[in-house]
Amino acid sequence: MQPPPPIDRNELQKLAELARLHVPAERVATVTQHLQRIVAAFDALRSEKEEATVPPVPVAPLRLRPDVAEPPLTTEVVLRNAPRQAAGMFVVPRVVDA
Amino acid sequence: MTPGLAGLSATRIAAMVRAGEVTAVEATEAALARVGAADSELHAFLEVTRDTALAAARAVDERHARGGDPGPLAGVPMAWKDNLVLADHVASAGSRMLEQYRSPFTATALQRALAAGAIPIGRTNMDEFGMGSSTENSAYGPTRNPWRRDRVPGGSSGGSAAAVAAGMCPLAMGSDTGGSVRQPASLCGVTGLKPTYGRVSRHGLIAYASSLDCVGAFARTAEDLALWLSVVSGIDPADPTSTPAEPGHTRRRQDLRGLRIGVPWELNGPGLDDEIARVTREALATLTELGARVVDVALPHVPHAVPAYYLVATAEASSNLARYDGVRYGLRRGANRCDAMITASRSAGFGPEVQLRILLGTFALSAGYQDEFYRRANDARAQLTADFRAAFAQCDVVWSPTSPVPAFPIGSRTDDPLAMYLCDVLTVPASLAGLPALSQPCGFTRDGMPVGMQWTAPAMQDEELLDIARLFESHTDHHKRSPTP
Repeated sequence: MQPPPPIDRNELQKLAELARLHVPAERVATVTQHLQRIVAAFDALRSEKEEATVPPVPVAPLRLRPDVAEPPLTTEVVLRNAPRQAAGMFVVPRVVDA
Repeated sequence: MTPGLAGLSATRIAAMVRAGEVTAVEATEAALARVGAADSELHAFLEVTRDTALAAARAVDERHARGGDPGPLAGVPMAWKDNLVLADHVASAGSRMLEQYRSPFTATALQRALAAGAIPIGRTNMDEFGMGSSTENSAYGPTRNPWRRDRVPGGSSGGSAAAVAAGMCPLAMGSDTGGSVRQPASLCGVTGLKPTYGRVSRHGLIAYASSLDCVGAFARTAEDLALWLSVVSGIDPADPTSTPAEPGHTRRRQDLRGLRIGVPWELNGPGLDDEIARVTREALATLTELGARVVDVALPHVPHAVPAYYLVATAEASSNLARYDGVRYGLRRGANRCDAMITASRSAGFGPEVQLRILLGTFALSAGYQDEFYRRANDARAQLTADFRAAFAQCDVVWSPTSPVPAFPIGSRTDDPLAMYLCDVLTVPASLAGLPALSQPCGFTRDGMPVGMQWTAPAMQDEELLDIARLFESHTDHHKRSPTP
């Protein structure tokens, strides 16, 4: 079996980009160390001899409600929590370059 | 100031209101006075909703005065965890991200309790998004344990547990993803129920890990929790995982004679604090004196439960919390470009533990590691579920301590996330298997801190747990002890 995967600064940078987070420079060492310790501790799961997989059994089957359109929240209600809004729409900074 | 009227059980208060011996407004004012006297030291509440509470109480009294049914929870002051939404009120999930968020709707479980006459007195403190075992991860500061102010109340529903323990209300709602009701119930000396996954609708519960999240509650008696469950459980069209109460669970156990208690060594072995081991061993001896029979059972996959739980939960959290992008609601931090705005908003809005868990979940789901970690975690979850099924062929309920340690000093574990995760070692197995589990007080350490024991039953046998807990209460007085003078 391969050794536990390393979580170094580069790996942390990749994870942070995927997660849309910025880890400030002064936190990088601590966060890297925490993730390393956690993943190393959880590595026993990976090293366990693989058993025949038991299919997960849900407690109860999903029950979908009837596929009937219901009145949605109004625009006014939805926009009440918007950080910025104008003309009945959410306002966001530029998405693509001009 | 003693709890007074607020210190009575929910069942008793509802009976008094229904009988006209006290009004809902009087019960509410007593609870608000108790909160005012006790919460400045404890910080169990993030917000006391005085006006909403008194308006609801007046409505209950008016309904009653007109001859209408005031409901089974008539006039019962109730707190709720800050991750359950109430229309037009803030629900922050203990996070700066949602500090200003006002919900346009009410959580189904909360709505059902209010429709039954419960009085919403305030929202309680919690670890941010339910991620923690001590309530120290709240963006608004920690809650203190009513039994000793320098100790944690447990978490993540620590505010609700502390509110009930301190006599501020007889009933408080919480949520339990990996032990977030049971562990704080144990550390605060109250009774806490995590129902079977699906018994109570999750609609309006701010998501952490959707395949594990359960709405639960705290009270000082099992009878109160049975009343609460009867009101809030059942099918909800807004939650496709919600389940009906199956027929045949209305029988009430009359005594503990013949009850087969499964004791797995994996949940009763090394790693337990000496005082936890002593107190729970004495409780088990009491149970056998009352006629229960101890059966050795095995849960061989328990050693994988903490890794499996933290990989599954954080993987789901990394997905669930992707919605907080600063666009439609929640905190926004300015930037010239949208992608930079999203990153800046999330980095400013989420606290360190939430960010760590999102990163861990992102790792568990990332290319190359998903098969090695996330899939193996789900396999372990299925195997653990099969372990419980095999155990229940030999016993009626599985028993263990709830927490391996009593309430620990505030600040003593905050630098070591792994040490904090291991606090959940006894509660995550039932969560992974979707089973109902309950913690109830069973004694005290030599220095006076409460100790809880945990019961786990087969799926949909929540009422069996409540019956067993009620019978244990009828022979003991641990649940009657209070931290208040």
